[in-house]
Amino acid sequence: MNKEIAVGIADMKFTRMEGRLITYALGSCVGVCLYDPIAKVGAMVHIMLPQRLENSADANVYKFADTGIRATIKKMEVFGALKRRLIAKIAGGAKMFDIPGGGSLGNIGQRNIESVRNTLREEGIPIISEEVGGNFARTLVFDCSNGQGNIRSFGRKEIIF
Amino acid sequence: MKISKYEEMNGFAIDMLREIGSIGTGNAATALSNTLSAKISMSLPEVKIMGYNQVIDFLGGPEKIVSAVLVHMTGEFSGIMLYLLDFDFVNIVFERLSLGKIEHFEDIDEIRASAIAEVSNIIISSYANAVSQLSSISINLSVPAMAINMLGGIMSVPMIEYGYVTDTIMVVDGKFIYNGGEMTSNLIMLPDIKSLNFLLNKLGVFNE
Repeated sequence: MNKEIAVGIADMKFTRMEGRLITYALGSCVGVCLYDPIAKVGAMVHIMLPQRLENSADANVYKFADTGIRATIKKMEVFGALKRRLIAKIAGGAKMFDIPGGGSLGNIGQRNIESVRNTLREEGIPIISEEVGGNFARTLVFDCSNGQGNIRSFGRKEIIF
Repeated sequence: MKISKYEEMNGFAIDMLREIGSIGTGNAATALSNTLSAKISMSLPEVKIMGYNQVIDFLGGPEKIVSAVLVHMTGEFSGIMLYLLDFDFVNIVFERLSLGKIEHFEDIDEIRASAIAEVSNIIISSYANAVSQLSSISINLSVPAMAINMLGGIMSVPMIEYGYVTDTIMVVDGKFIYNGGEMTSNLIMLPDIKSLNFLLNKLGVFNE
């Protein structure tokens, strides 16, 4: 089956047994793939920012690394995944522009990566591969039938990870 | 009156912003014509308030490769200016500046890259100057930064910058047209909400 499921910005999608999750052109955002290889439940979340601010009225939990990853794990457990079996693959967190002096948020890509790593460590989920940093956008594809990730970017070879 | 979200802007405020964009784009089109010694026309700017994914589709899709120059505005009016050129337009710039056309975006060398950065900088500055004079607001521009990459990744920069404040993004989008509309480039102004309030107040939009 070649079902493709697109994951938008600040969005999460999951599937079981079959189908490929895809998110386009990750810049400073980070795409996190979570996968239970036994139940073959896979999810992808496209986060934009490292942390949800306390008392934030923001209803979209998938915008932030900490709340986004935790909400994704909960959803996956409902669909038969076991948290202790989960593995993670992450991509993105680039610095698209070399801005002298930096923007108001500094190197947000790097901060996103660190927050994703921290959250996964706290949840006890190992990162088995990562393609992060650099100064280019990545389109991330994750195949839920076999847990294989794939990255395309401009002017570079396709990466299987 | 004060807005806390882009969606709260009324029709009058949007009209005013379109007018500002139109004057800015007009000025920039003249500068571009002079720099390239070519006839460049402009479209009437659009003011759009859209969700993250919508805005990327509006500009041509996430995986479209563009040349982008980004400048931060600071001072009384802050936000981001982005100038996006697609492949055909980039080639016009090279042709007019006698640098020779290229086959692929990958072929852009250092000289060509700095030519794009320079042209973009001229355009962004003339736009900002026009807005500044019209509203008597001082706008400082940062050093331009350039990237040639996927549109989605490039647009993630302003989205993230405002991500804690808003779920939508507002673009004031002006197009430059060369050769009767076949080749276009977009100049986009993305003010932050605080500056938008300041500008609209200054122009008397909220003083009813």
